[in-house]
Amino acid sequence: MVPEAQFGWTGTIEGVTLGATKAEGGTRCISYRIGGGKNLPFLDRDSSSPSPLIAYELCDYAPLWSPIVRSYCGDLVDSLPEWTKTAETTYKPDLIRLHLNSTRQRNFSDIPGLGKTVETVLSATGLPLIIEGSNEPKIDSEVFQRCGESGQGERLLLGTAEASRYRSIAAAALAYNHSVIAQSPIDVNLAKQLNILLKEIGVPRDHIVIDPYTGALGYGFEYSYSAMERIRFAALKGDTDLAMPIICSAADTLTIKEVREADPAMQDSVAVSWELYTGIAAAAAGAEIICVRHPATIGMLRQAFTSMNANTVRREVE
Amino acid sequence: MALKALDIYKLLPKKNCKECGDPTCLTFAMKLAGGKADVDLCPYLDDQAKSVLGATTRPPIRLVRVGVGERFFKIGEETVLYRHEKTFYHPPGIVFRLKDTQTEEEIAAVTRRVRDETFTRVGTDLRFNGVAIENTSGSAEKFAWAVATVEKQQAHLPPVLIAQDPAALAAALVHCGTYRPLLHAAIAENFRDMCALAKRHGCPLVVRAPTLDGLVQLVKDCTAEGVQDLMLDPAPENLGAFIRRSTQIRQLAITRSLPELGYPVYLDATATGLEDAALVLGIVKYASVIVTSPLEAGPAKASLTLRQNIYTDPQKPIQMNPGLYRVGNPGKDAPVLMTVNFSLTFFTLEGYLEASRIPCYMLIVDTEGLSVLTAVAAGKLNETLVRDSLQKFDVGNEVMHRKLIIPGYASPLSGRIEEATGWKVLVGPRDAAEIGEFLHEVWKKQV
Ligand code: B12
Ligand code: SF4
Repeated sequence: MVPEAQFGWTGTIEGVTLGATKAEGGTRCISYRIGGGKNLPFLDRDSSSPSPLIAYELCDYAPLWSPIVRSYCGDLVDSLPEWTKTAETTYKPDLIRLHLNSTRQRNFSDIPGLGKTVETVLSATGLPLIIEGSNEPKIDSEVFQRCGESGQGERLLLGTAEASRYRSIAAAALAYNHSVIAQSPIDVNLAKQLNILLKEIGVPRDHIVIDPYTGALGYGFEYSYSAMERIRFAALKGDTDLAMPIICSAADTLTIKEVREADPAMQDSVAVSWELYTGIAAAAAGAEIICVRHPATIGMLRQAFTSMNANTVRREVE
Repeated sequence: MALKALDIYKLLPKKNCKECGDPTCLTFAMKLAGGKADVDLCPYLDDQAKSVLGATTRPPIRLVRVGVGERFFKIGEETVLYRHEKTFYHPPGIVFRLKDTQTEEEIAAVTRRVRDETFTRVGTDLRFNGVAIENTSGSAEKFAWAVATVEKQQAHLPPVLIAQDPAALAAALVHCGTYRPLLHAAIAENFRDMCALAKRHGCPLVVRAPTLDGLVQLVKDCTAEGVQDLMLDPAPENLGAFIRRSTQIRQLAITRSLPELGYPVYLDATATGLEDAALVLGIVKYASVIVTSPLEAGPAKASLTLRQNIYTDPQKPIQMNPGLYRVGNPGKDAPVLMTVNFSLTFFTLEGYLEASRIPCYMLIVDTEGLSVLTAVAAGKLNETLVRDSLQKFDVGNEVMHRKLIIPGYASPLSGRIEEATGWKVLVGPRDAAEIGEFLHEVWKKQV
């Protein structure tokens, strides 16, 4: 008999809960627990680590979003509640990731409006939410406070903390029991440092998701891929400061040259291929939340994950 | 178990005669220990030493060649599980599948496509590697005809011949037997005949079994028949099975736990019904030959790009030689644009410069392959480097003016560059897409 490959792992990826159902004090129709893995991705036979989740990214200010998404979704993108509903019922992701990109407009100041936006999206969908707050340190504190409050009880995943700005987001997460995305630029040591900073101000380990930053395929993806592998490896070797689930969002994908300049008739298919190839490779490296922007990518990713997680033939036949 | 360099050294003749190509027996021993040399290079080894060393110092995964001529490719000789531990050396050959039930035109068109199609990214030509012809018809004549049709295109592509029936393979080998085609596949029922064909034509052979025990047994059988160039097809029934078996094969091979698994892996991406996903996983999880249907534009470019990314040496980003490059036919008053030697940056900028139709110079400085922002953040791009590069590449003699355009992301350095070089610095846009506009508006006003 050929022996199993021996790796001698000792660590376990921390479990993180996303969303809260009525029974759990929220209003979501489902909640997820990611993490829990004790081996390289997809190697376990006992299925202790579940399939990666697929998050569909949308935004509250469509003029700053990819024209490819607009041309595929149509006017939907101008009505956030409709876009959200259609996402849940037609595109069928596991999660919704809302980018509050209206905050990127010059002199943005409508903070109360953001709270309403979060509430609108919460009532438009029963799926758990990831909320991307501001990108501007000056308004961070108010923005995250407001988002945290509007989503109280819903176990949101709030993004994005970086080494230079993590306090406001951590404060909001702590105050309202949400989780935090911790992003560092493609480096296992920087990821670890940020997690330690978050730990020091009291964010529990089971409330952190690592974002090692994903460069688009062909534009730095190989670095991100290896950073994910290294993080997973360190975690399995027992480094608890790196033993958190990983989120992957190759946000630049729809703007790279190959996609932008594709033959118009093929543009959707090229965009979907680029997201799909990135998402599957990232999952194989250890990412447990894969974010996409093109609706057509979702179904293909799901089929792939189902097949990657199908443990043995026997299990399928049963 | 692997031998240490010193243990190997003890078995060498210690003549230090250099005939192995190494200066001393000790350095040769070190290479052997690292799987980087072949015992046969030393002519003075006795048979006993040879057999001890041969088993433990050959590379943990055998190097296999597929095809002949310009388009042949090498696979195997990998040493790590993770690319960041060293690098992955030999990118998988991706081959397009044809069936012998297709028409002559279809077969010819796909063959010519693989022959001609090139996708150039960051200065490298990316191509698919060959064609696989499958004996779908069940008829040996039909199969031979399909293979002959491929060969008639004069594409000289490495062929993969897929047939269960040795008689069909024999008929097809009449047309391509001397081109080192890859034969697929030996199974328990046919391995003797398959081995006979592989030996007669000197070609590599895939063994196929859905369990690792089955693969090990077939490898033992085929090597006993005298075939050494083998590949392993783990016949995965779903993508999870592929990841598990392929990872296990790689791990057991590189740790030399099971030499029978020390061969490159073959993956039929069409078998699971999820071709894109299988291609991705084949590329990242250790497949060395991947058979797929002819791909559309999206998957074609995405798969070649992913393969390029994963097989780039993590220690050495793809780099340009530093220097002064010309875009068009620049004169003495043409603009000089400075940038880094990361090839992705170079080719992105160059593309937009060509589109602007303004002849110019690109001054490429040595940031060890880091992008602009990364190099600035790491302190690799600085005023001393810019000054030295201006001198070294004699830019002052090429142009009459003393104006240097730097990337928008390098703007924090503009003052220091002016001081160190005496050149006037113009801060360009951050995004290279805006360079045309910048040259037309800002530069034109300068001169
Ligand atoms: C891949 C990557 C890496 C790779 C390196 C890849 C490489 N070969 O450079 C690795 C993982 C090694 C890395 C390391 C680091 N990185 Co890094 N990295 C990236 C990433 C994701 C992509 C970089 C890239 O490939 N860009 C593509 C190329 C083509 O861009 P470019 O060279 O800038 O060229 C563009 C423009 O500048 C312009 N342009 C270029 N030349 C010229 C010339 C002229 C005249 C003009 C007008 C325009 C122009 O045209 C191009 C296209 O628009 C960026 C994030 C991002 N999206 O930019 C972070 C990023 C650059 N990294 C960052 C950091 C901080 C680092 C580290 C210091 C941290 C660390 N991880 O340790 C290290 C430092 C390096 C070291 N010491 O080794 C930060 C920089 C922060 C800042 N604003 O200064 C970034 C922005 C990530 C972030 N958001 O925090 N990184
Ligand atoms: S050929 Fe053999 S004897 Fe001569 S230097 Fe090399 S290892 Fe030593």
